Amino acid sequence: MDVLFPRTLEELQKLRTKTPGSLVMAGGTDLLVKIRKTGQKPTAIFCIERIAELQRLDVLDDEIVIGAAVTLQQLLECDTIKTELTALFEALSALASPPVRHSATLVGNVCTASPAGDTLPPLYVFAAEVEISNTSGRRRQSIAEFITGPGKTTLQPDEIVTAVRVPKPVDGMHSVYYKVGKRKAMAIAVASMAARFEFGEAGAIKNIKMAWGSVGPTVVRAIDVEAYLTGCPLSVDYLREAGRLASAAVCPIDDVRASADYRRQVTGNLLLRLARDKRD
Amino acid sequence: MEASLVVNPGVKEIGQSAARLDAYTKVTGEEKFAADCYPEGFLWAGVKRSEHAHARILAIDTTGATALSRVVSVLTHRDIKGKNRLGIFEKDQPILADERVRHYGDAVALVVAESKAALAEALAAIRVEYEPLPPVFDPEAALETGAPILHPTRPAGNVLIQSEIVCGDGAVNLGECAFQATVKIQTGWQEHAFLETQTGVAWMEEDGTLSMTVSTQTPFRDRLELAEALGLSPAKIHVVAPCLGGGFGGKDGVSVQGFLALAAMHSGGRPVKIYYSREESILAGVKRHPMRADYSVGCDKDGVLQALSCNLLFDTGAYASLGAEVFALAMEHAGGPYRIPNVSIHGSAVYTNNPVSGAFRGFGVPQAAAAMEQVIDELAKAGGFDPLELRRKNAVRRGDTSPTGVLLTQTTGILECLDQLERHPLWRQRKKWCESAPAFKRRGVGIATIYHSVGFGPAIADYANAKLEILTDGNFRVYAGVSDMGQGNASTYAQIAGHILCQPHEIMDIVLPDTARTLPSASSSASRTTFTYGNAMIGAAELLRDRIRARAALMISFQLLHSVPIEEVALLPGVARHLPSGRSVPLSLVATMMDVSERTVTYSYTCPVNNQPIASGENLRMHGFPHRVVTYGAQLVTVEVDTLTGETVVCDMLNCVDAGRVLNPQAYEQQVQGGAAQGLGYALFEEFAVTDGRILTGDFSTYILPTALDVPDMVTEPVTPNEKDGPFGMKGVGEIGIDGVFPAIANAIAVATGVRITAETMSAEKVLAALRQTGQEGRP
Amino acid sequence: MTLNFILNGKNLSVETSPDRRVVDLLREDLGLSGTKECCGSGECGACTILVDGESRLSCLMLAAQLEGRTLLTIEGLASNGELHVVQQAFVDHGGVQCGFCTPGMVLATLDLLRRIPDPTRAEVRRELSGNLCRCTGYQKIVDAVMAAARTLNGGMS
Repeated sequence: MDVLFPRTLEELQKLRTKTPGSLVMAGGTDLLVKIRKTGQKPTAIFCIERIAELQRLDVLDDEIVIGAAVTLQQLLECDTIKTELTALFEALSALASPPVRHSATLVGNVCTASPAGDTLPPLYVFAAEVEISNTSGRRRQSIAEFITGPGKTTLQPDEIVTAVRVPKPVDGMHSVYYKVGKRKAMAIAVASMAARFEFGEAGAIKNIKMAWGSVGPTVVRAIDVEAYLTGCPLSVDYLREAGRLASAAVCPIDDVRASADYRRQVTGNLLLRLARDKRD
Repeated sequence: MEASLVVNPGVKEIGQSAARLDAYTKVTGEEKFAADCYPEGFLWAGVKRSEHAHARILAIDTTGATALSRVVSVLTHRDIKGKNRLGIFEKDQPILADERVRHYGDAVALVVAESKAALAEALAAIRVEYEPLPPVFDPEAALETGAPILHPTRPAGNVLIQSEIVCGDGAVNLGECAFQATVKIQTGWQEHAFLETQTGVAWMEEDGTLSMTVSTQTPFRDRLELAEALGLSPAKIHVVAPCLGGGFGGKDGVSVQGFLALAAMHSGGRPVKIYYSREESILAGVKRHPMRADYSVGCDKDGVLQALSCNLLFDTGAYASLGAEVFALAMEHAGGPYRIPNVSIHGSAVYTNNPVSGAFRGFGVPQAAAAMEQVIDELAKAGGFDPLELRRKNAVRRGDTSPTGVLLTQTTGILECLDQLERHPLWRQRKKWCESAPAFKRRGVGIATIYHSVGFGPAIADYANAKLEILTDGNFRVYAGVSDMGQGNASTYAQIAGHILCQPHEIMDIVLPDTARTLPSASSSASRTTFTYGNAMIGAAELLRDRIRARAALMISFQLLHSVPIEEVALLPGVARHLPSGRSVPLSLVATMMDVSERTVTYSYTCPVNNQPIASGENLRMHGFPHRVVTYGAQLVTVEVDTLTGETVVCDMLNCVDAGRVLNPQAYEQQVQGGAAQGLGYALFEEFAVTDGRILTGDFSTYILPTALDVPDMVTEPVTPNEKDGPFGMKGVGEIGIDGVFPAIANAIAVATGVRITAETMSAEKVLAALRQTGQEGRP
Repeated sequence: MTLNFILNGKNLSVETSPDRRVVDLLREDLGLSGTKECCGSGECGACTILVDGESRLSCLMLAAQLEGRTLLTIEGLASNGELHVVQQAFVDHGGVQCGFCTPGMVLATLDLLRRIPDPTRAEVRRELSGNLCRCTGYQKIVDAVMAAARTLNGGMS
């Protein structure tokens, strides 16, 4: 299996075009594990870690642009992410382990598109977009439209994701990420929840967006839960009712880690964590 | 001949903490484990495993594999000249399956190849024709008439062993007790998950000796097992056991050694290597026995235990391994460390087409304690007794008889353990702690008292042969007879020698078990690795000490021109000194003056056994019942459960342990903390899922081990009676730490949620269901 | 292909296939068996090495990724027979039992102390959560790391 390090996107595209059966690797923490498990080696692996354009981590006025080669550790060290995209920061902190985070990438996590991917619920609530490069140019797509099923995206054979773009939140926006795993570190999420919201008059919720992971083939949004909570305070009673709606909105499966029933229960219960985290 | 003044490097006395001697080479990566052997020109060997849980083998077609280039040999049972049966007492496990396969881990063919890739290709090319047989996966179903029988030649069908221990009036009057409690407990498999998987290298010497370096707890016994299985002479098998990267019982006996031997005999003279991947280790290795148990216990109105009735069912999987021994130890300890005059204990271990169960730290006691310590808590609840007071009231004292009729002649520190636990703030402030749970959390504190017997019991000799040498440079060489799988026993042997010889042990040379150089000293298991060999080392060190003193006395007498009695000579670091005159002789000089035959001492020690007649459970005798020396413990855990998710955090652990005197506090704590952490994993995280014989948790992404974030800081408080049977009064602390954690956590969760979880791992899912049952799910 | 990188302070030129796992390159080709493999899938941390000062899992790295990089394996830590402060702390505080997790644990500790020079016990546990240990229950490893941090900070915390 050939392993090459193109220096530019153009070089990468050329290599891919003339090497059928090749795969693109960012951090490799999903890809190499998969290759080992299935025993199916690609004809070649093209690593993107030396493409300058993909290393960009730009905090702009209205958005943060995270290149495909940016590692999770780099993101953890970015102040803006820690203070303004708290849900993403919390997801990154809960993902895998320190050495994995030194090579794993956000874009990699997005492209793997696991229903349990930790970064996904936050990216959904932040309305992140993926930026895709192909032989004809570039295209953008919201993450919700990009991921179509477990492990499935709209990525075409000649395409690669070059960046994830996350709109910068307004002042006063709060966000959280809750993860339930089978242990406190290095755990695939059994259920997870991201939420972003602002407080309006008298502590009432406005502009709330929520997303749940590991409880459906892709990240689940529930407009009715958001609608219900809009204008409500973050009190236990309202959150309990919202939790009932959320449980009804998700479609988890049984697997070796947990049953669908448990996942459904936890989905609803996690809303109550917002009550604990009351902010004024 | 005055010795120049040497800076005294000091002697680490017994009782003082001392760093392990191998810690230096382990932190630098220099220490070579069996996994680290890559002999010149070696070949890779690997095994093709069964595609069925139970099937007859009709044909094995290896032509596809032998045709491949870079494949050196492809072997089946037909290439085995000996009996092709492994096992300790019950030899029922083939090295390579012949007539049938009995679980998915069964090995069917062995390939030796030039590379890992060639090996994988060859294994995939082997075609095996099977006739599937009806399998049985439920141990209760395995006992029914008409159940598929795994070993048709055995008269007892699927029963590996069945026994009963009845004392006093049995369970006859249990129903009349003032207070009674019943539990039905199920415990699951547990995977050893040693970081170094099963591995080794082997080669044929020019003189026809089969040599191997392998990660094994039993280098000497391996020779005997292999010899019979392969038709070799044990004297022509050389086994070296370097430091193991963990064992915990999973390397007690033959794991890869049979494959290594066979491969080495068909490798064209080249060395061969086997190194299990994690997935193969989980598939093929032995596990802790799952158990189902029904326990009923009764006491009088004052809380004095009157009767116990219990039934234990162990799933031993496809082969016996050490199943009968695990079963026997569980039965022996089934009643806990209590005075119970009337007991009726029944049990059996049965074959199923599940993965093989075998030795795992605790060896049946964690399972028995999982049930006993929960039913005691239920009894406390039923009678309105404080759970600690109920235990204290009934705890055995020296001279008592255990519930299984074993007279406790040796030190019995359980009361002191309980006293210590009772005094601790974690116990005294438990109410206040529980009541101050934050929102959406519930707290509980749980305890367990356990005991664990040391050694092999009355039938199998628990022996060790120490070998100690003074080198011509005055240093010493310890020939460690028992594998060091991380307990640090090799270092402790040197510490013992150093203590007796008054020499710094840190500079001693250690030879790890090697059948050509060290002496047979039985397995690294049963909490006896320091106990037995330590006793032998005391004998050896005293012999050598006196031999050195005698020679030094002779040498000094030539100087003084009068006879010097040995009593006047003392050994000090590096020298022998004549105390009245102050004259010294360097040890190097004394050693040079000794013949090579005098510089090495051997000493054989066999542990005394419990030779009391046992009225009940006689068929357990050869499997270890009863023992003589017993360790005790009282363990406490505090837990906090999340009412939203059921996730359980263990906040504190307290281990009050009686393992006799402490030889090395640091090593003692290491064993207790490590054992307790494995107990925590067993209770909360390590759910081992098997469906129709197939393992679903086959790697580390699905078999969940606790990380550094999942285990709390623990307090360990030793209770230290002087056990005369043991070297310097110690008993063996390897297993007591794991034994009580499961029930302590179960008891704590029962307090926190109001519901007792009785089925295997107490996962978040089960805890949440428990909270739902008592209306606490989602409550702040 | 030929790879050029710095290994334990020395320039190295190695001929190997580009998709060889770094853990195999180290253990089987370069005779550096201090780096251990115990799961092959990034779940245990035993194969941890330092690449350009950062902890990385060598079972999930391909040889070709080493070009131009600086590697530190456990063999390169002690200098002139003298243990690094972290290694000494592991020895002194009982942080070593079977020793198989130890090389990965020590290097992960170096990485953690580089990023957090004065950690709390909780932070140590969090940062070492990617390194499994089956023998110690972690407590004495945390003790060792805290002691090493104290020493490296000039005896102050």
